This record gives sequence, C-alpha cells and structure tokens, in this order.
Amino acid sequence: MAGIIDLILSIIFYPPIYQLVLVGLTGSLVVVIFIIWFERKATARVQRRLGPYHIAPRLAGLPQLVADLIRYAFQEVIIPRTADRELFVLAPIVATVLSILPIAVVPLTSNPAYWPIPMDYSILVALALTTVSPIFLIVAGWASNNKFSIIGGVREAFVITAYEMIAIMSILSASAAVLTFNLVEIVEAQRIWYILLNPIAFLAAFLSVLMATSGFPFEIPESENEVVAGPFTEYSGLLYGLNMGAAYMKRFAFSILMVLVFLGGWSPYTPGEGILSGYLIPSLIVVAKAAILMMIFSLTRSIYGRFRLDQALEGAWRLVFPMAVLGFGLALLEAYLGVM
Amino acid sequence: MSVWVYGEQKSELGLEGTITRKIEEDLYEVFIGPQHPGSGHMRIIIRIDGDIIVEADPDMGYVHRTMEKLAEGREWIKNVPLFERMAIQDACNVTVSYIIALERILDIEPPPRAKYLRTLLCEINRIAAHLYGFGIFGVFIGHSTMYMWSFADREVMVELAERLTGARLTHSYPIPGGARKDIPQDFPQAARKAVRYFRRRLEEYRKIFLDNPVTRKRLEGVGIIPKKIAAELGVVGPVARASGIKYDARLAEPYDAYDEVEFEVPVFEEGDALARAWVKFEEIKQSLRIIEQAVDWLERHPREAPIHDRFWAKSPPLWKKVFEAEGRVKLLPLMANMKLPPGRAMARSETARGEIIYYVESDGKSTPYRVRIVSPSARNAIVFKYIAPGYKVMDLPTIYGSIDYFPPEADR
Amino acid sequence: MDLAQARKIVEEALSGIEARVEEGRGFIEFIVSKENLVEAASRLKKAGFDHVKSLTVVDYKAEGKFKIVYYVSSYLNEDLAGVIVGIGTEVPRDNPKMPTLVYVWRSAEFQEREVFEFFGIDFEDHPDLRLLLLTPQVAEKRPLRKDFIVKEEPIIRTTPPTG
Repeated sequence: MAGIIDLILSIIFYPPIYQLVLVGLTGSLVVVIFIIWFERKATARVQRRLGPYHIAPRLAGLPQLVADLIRYAFQEVIIPRTADRELFVLAPIVATVLSILPIAVVPLTSNPAYWPIPMDYSILVALALTTVSPIFLIVAGWASNNKFSIIGGVREAFVITAYEMIAIMSILSASAAVLTFNLVEIVEAQRIWYILLNPIAFLAAFLSVLMATSGFPFEIPESENEVVAGPFTEYSGLLYGLNMGAAYMKRFAFSILMVLVFLGGWSPYTPGEGILSGYLIPSLIVVAKAAILMMIFSLTRSIYGRFRLDQALEGAWRLVFPMAVLGFGLALLEAYLGVM
Repeated sequence: MSVWVYGEQKSELGLEGTITRKIEEDLYEVFIGPQHPGSGHMRIIIRIDGDIIVEADPDMGYVHRTMEKLAEGREWIKNVPLFERMAIQDACNVTVSYIIALERILDIEPPPRAKYLRTLLCEINRIAAHLYGFGIFGVFIGHSTMYMWSFADREVMVELAERLTGARLTHSYPIPGGARKDIPQDFPQAARKAVRYFRRRLEEYRKIFLDNPVTRKRLEGVGIIPKKIAAELGVVGPVARASGIKYDARLAEPYDAYDEVEFEVPVFEEGDALARAWVKFEEIKQSLRIIEQAVDWLERHPREAPIHDRFWAKSPPLWKKVFEAEGRVKLLPLMANMKLPPGRAMARSETARGEIIYYVESDGKSTPYRVRIVSPSARNAIVFKYIAPGYKVMDLPTIYGSIDYFPPEADR
Repeated sequence: MDLAQARKIVEEALSGIEARVEEGRGFIEFIVSKENLVEAASRLKKAGFDHVKSLTVVDYKAEGKFKIVYYVSSYLNEDLAGVIVGIGTEVPRDNPKMPTLVYVWRSAEFQEREVFEFFGIDFEDHPDLRLLLLTPQVAEKRPLRKDFIVKEEPIIRTTPPTG
C-alpha cells in the first residue's frame, strides 16, 4: 500500500510533470483565477463599485471566473470562412502551451533531486522560452484575415521588439552579478534579495513584463477602441478564452522567473530532504510570491489609461532600455565589488 | 477622389499636421464603426498609410430620425419630447432654445422665477452631460476608472433633476412662457450638498485623469485646432473654446437668467484634446456656481406660478390648487393645440456640447411650417474630416472623445 | 450689438448688390439673386462673419420656390457674435441648382450635403456632394420637401384586446 502511494507521489512529483502540469497548468489556472478576481475586485474598489458578487456572495464572487471559464468552454467556436483554418485553431493553443513552458525549466527548490533539467544554463533556457509564444499571437492575427486582427498583430510585433530586449537584459543582470547562468545559484546567492541590490533592473523587468502581457498602460495590441480585440477579434468561445488566458499565464511564468531572480525564490525557507520539505513547500512559496507580484501588476489597470503605440515604444527604447542597460552595468559593478 | 484632395484642402486652410508620403495605392481602408466598440452610432472610414491617417470620412446618419420632418406633423408643444431625444441627458439645454423661439413668436417673456428654474435645470443637465462625455472619453483612452467615476457621479445630478422635475431624463420641463414645476421644499439643501460633493470630487478627477501622466501624454498635442481654423470650420462649444474662441451662446445672446447670474466662460488657447478636456472640467465648476446662485435666488424669492400670466390667468381654479399643493403647473389643454401667429424666429442656447440653433417658422396653424435644427455635434462632425488626417490611428479615439461627438444629437 | 446695427453693417458691405431685407425675431436676413450670392457672401465674410451657423431651406410649395438662407455669425469678432445674419437666395422648385458657398465658408460643407439629400438642391462645384445622413432610397424621396407627406402608422394589434 505504502509502495503504491510512494509510486503515485513519485509520479506526481516527477519534476517535469509536477512543474508543467501541477504548477504550470493547474497552478497557473488557480492563480490566474485568483488574480483576475483580485484585479476585478481591486479595480472595483477604486471605482467605487462592487465587482463580481452574484456567484457565491460569501466568497465575494471568487468563483465568477470559473463560471466565465465554463461559459467560454461551452460557447460555440466560430471559425470565419476567410480565416486560415489550421493556423487559426492552432495558434492560440500553441501560444498558451508555450507561455507556460518557461515554468517547466526553472528550479522550484535547491534540492538537486527535484530539478526538472540540469540547471547550468537554466536562466538562458527559461528566457529563450518566453520569447517563443508572442510569435503565435501574430500568427493568430494573421490567420484571422481581418483588418483589426492584422493591425493588432503588427502592434504586438512592435511591442515584442520593444520589450524582449529589456526583459532579457534586466533579468540577465542577476546572472551578471552572480557570474552564473544557474538559477539555483542565483537564488542561493541572494542573502539580500536582488531587488534591493539592483532596483533599477527590477523596475525595468517590471515594465517589460507589463508590456509583454498587455498590462495597462501598455494594453495596446488589444486596445478595444481602435482594434476591437486586436489579434483576437475573430475568436470566440474556448479559443478566445485561451488567448485571454495566455496573457495571464505568461505573466505568471514571468512572475515566477522574477521571483527567482529578484525576490529570493524560496527564501526564507531552506529546502531539505524529501518531497514535502524538499519540493512542495519551496515551490508553494515561489508560487505565492509570484501571486503577490501579479497582484501588484494588476493594480495599474485602475490608475492608468493606455499609451499610444509610438509613445509606448519610445518610452521602452528611450527610457526603459537605458534603464535595463544601467541595471546590467550596476550588476557588473556589484560582481566586481563582490557584493553578492 | 484621390487622397491628396484632403491634403490640399488641409494646407489651403493652413493646417499643419504630420506630412504623409503621397501614396495613391496600398492604403489600408479601415471602417471604424458602426458596430465598433470605439465608434458609437456612426462610422468613420479612415485610410491609413502605415500608422498615419491620410483620409477620414465621417459617415453619419445611423440614428437619424428626420426630426425636422416629424416636427412638421406635430403640435407645437408635442415637439418638445421629440427634440429631447437628441440628447436625453441634456434635455433642458437642447429644448430650451426651441421654447425661446416659440416665445419670440408668441411675443411673451417668462416670469423671472421660471427663468431661474430653467437655468437651474440647464446647468444640472450640463454637468450630467459633461460627466457622460468624460466617461466616454475615459473609456476611449482606456481609462476605466474615469468612466466608472463619472457615470456614478452623474447619478447625483440625474437625481437632482428628478427632484426638480420628476423625471430622471427627458424632463420636458420648459414650456412656452414658463416652466412646469417649482422646486420642492428640500431642494436647496440637496442641491448645496451635491455642489459640495462635486467640488470635492472634481479635485479627484483632476488627480486621476487630467493630471495623470499617461493621460496627459496621450492628449497633449493631439487633434490641434488652431483658432483661425476653428472659426473657419465653425466648430462649437468646448471645441471652439479650447481653441481660444471666446464664444458661448449664454454670453453672446443671454437667454433665461444668464444675464443675471455670475459665471465665467473658460477659454483655453492650446486647441488640443487636453485643452478640450480642461474646458469641460472648468465648465462643470462654473455650472456649480450657477446652480448655487440659482438656488439662492429661488429660495429668497416668494413662490409664484412659474408661468406667464397669459396662460396662468386662463387656468381653472383646480390648476391653482394643484400648484399650491404640489408646486406643479398642470399643462393647460389650450397649450396642447395652441395656434401660433404667423412669424419666424431663431433662437440659440448653449448645450453641454455647444450651441444649438432652432429656426422656427409658423404659418398660423397648430403645427410648425418648418423647424430647422442645427445641433452642436452636427457642426463638430467636420472636425473628423479636416483635423484627424495627419494623426495616428490611435489618436482617433482621442479626437473622437475630446470633441464629445454624440451621434443621436448629430443625426437628429 | 443689436440687429439694427448689424443691418447697417451688412447693408454697407453689400452696397451695390440688390438685396431684399427680411426681419425675423432674433435674426435678420438678406435675400439676393442667385448670381450675386457668392459675391455677397464673400463680402459678408470680409465684414467679419466667419462661420455658418445654419443653412436653412424652406420649401414654399405654393409659390413654387425654395428659400435657401445661410445664417452666419462671427467667432473672431466678439461684437458681431451677438447677431445672426442670414444671406440667401431663392431658387425654383423644379430642378433647383445654385452655386456652393463652401469656398467662402468651409463650415457650410456638411450642411450643404444635408440640404442636397433632403431637398435635392444641387450645389454646383461642391467638392464632395454625397449623401450625409440618409440612405439612397430615402434620399430619392426628398423627405423635407412639402410634397413628401409622413403618414401616421396605424397601431396594429396583434392580439385581441383582453378583458
């Protein structure tokens, strides 16, 4: 009997399965549901209204998104006759899968038994994987064969070119400071959280994630008043839900990466031996921190409108990119002085 | 028609915008509307070169009701509820000039109390309409908080109007020779409370919207209409005043109590979208001042039937009893199919979105021979054609929101 | 400034052009011949009347004519802003044609389009004379002419009255 439980546990906590399915898919779904609820509630609070309420008033409308999800799941998926059928269906699915893929390669514990991949170049692999999914948003826009979709797709392309460099630069500054591409070593090296040592890089990373995931004030590719829903204009039902969810899942993946790099990963907990203390607890700490980070992301919605595309790009290239470079320089200085 | 025609017209007017390359083909034609979340009940056909609008053609008429023709088939006073449908949250402002035109033909002047009552409702309506405009503007540039706030606070003004007239919207309040209801006893306190509340809230609006760095960046320098061009295009209301034109129908030809109350007309020089937002913002403040003064005046002066003696003298005793008990002027049956003497009159009033003009012609029958309405949004629609080219596609909602274009009013 | 003063200014500006003056309540209008309209309008514009407030057409069916009046006023000259002055002409009802004033007052552009669709008056040389508000089917009937009669639609009961 104990053997069977052990077997099941070892299957569940086999790192690739655990991280991709449990943390990546289920965890991100739960976190996204919570975050969207939080976003709605926080925005509603600022805007002096109630927000989600009618589904389970005692839980303050928490299951609202579950209901939304069910609605999306059972809604008819309409594929326009003029659309490129295969790509139209494939693009959102691939984009969603790819946007949670970075979670499958990052360490959620310092215990080597529970690393999904060898960690030597993990930060590079994770960053590389974050750059794949946006391409499929452009594909989705193109396959829809709709003017608004294409304009939205082109805008997405502009925004990608602007934020990717910043995201990579600012997150890699940690590895410059610690002189390693190993995420575990980066986390372990943070006796002081890296956000305190290099706030400039953190700010640049924060802004680039907002841009990457269409957060306000950079909600430009999907800007409703100009391009209806951007690349997703023609989508309906589950495919639309996937598209919308993909942005949040991407934000979750980025948040986990940022937690590992800037917010000390699983600290203050020190992972020990065994599944519970070696894997489950540290990974939950990371997810919790990521959720808090996402809550901060979602506050911008109620404060800002959206930038114009050229203003966002100008801001990214003229302001945030030099900021990321500066952060990188600061990291090199810290490495030279041996701060970390 | 080639693209360049518009460009030439633009340079002929001395307009400066982004100079676009001359491209005859390969222009992307995008239909903004009428089923588009950023358009309202109208369509703007834009041709874009890259991200720059080279041609914009406003296509109106999706909510057109031929009011001018319908008015010819209705008795004079029954046109009031019809014209109110142009801008329901601005009902008093929109219809008061029609009533004034009728009064000019009848050659009567309403008693001062009626004038103040109308002024009071006009300003309440103006604030409600400006808040509506702010809300739409907010949602156009993605600022959902402004949208929610102004739509929630509009409720305060709508309820004030309800206390005064009995209806939340479409009050049908002014009638030839007067107004239909006196203020209830507890109105002054409620109005003053609302004014205090708005003074406080406006400060918060300024912080979150007008002084918000993102909003400022978005609005500054967008949709600039220089003074000379504003006069040439004949734009009205906040759009004109944001371009430095000191024109307000309330000043140019004071009607009702506007020559007695104190208020300023905010004029800005910049002529861009931000200036237009500021004009509206400052106008709300001035409207609050007028409301206070009107309420003070109404409180100081004794209650009397707010309607011209010519009608009031003819009303049966029951009508007078109703007025004493409820403060309500019951509509006289003779007013419903009243015949106006032959004559022609024009009147203008300043609605929230600008000046509205009525030309009324009577041939002595109980229905108008001709009513011509020129509403502010109809006159502002020309802005899309001449100002939008040269700006980016993402500026179109900004321009649209800042001129506060209201399709039902423009289409009539 | 009141209408009497405005009348003086306009009469001075229009000296040499024969004009019939008509006074309404709240406005004053000058009716000139079709040929003189553009010239008269240009002179008014020079006198400071810089925008068109309303382009009003009235169909006098009995007399067989349309009266087309451009009601103008001023933005830049604050004295003139208080008055509304009309400059207009009369055209016969059948096959009405008249010169456009768009090149004098750009603000008349959309209103001329509106008059074109509602009355079928052809503005010669108008840069962009298309339908503005109506669909082609409705515009063909020239809805604001007096011979277009709006029929009251009968209220049709689909269910028999109860009780």
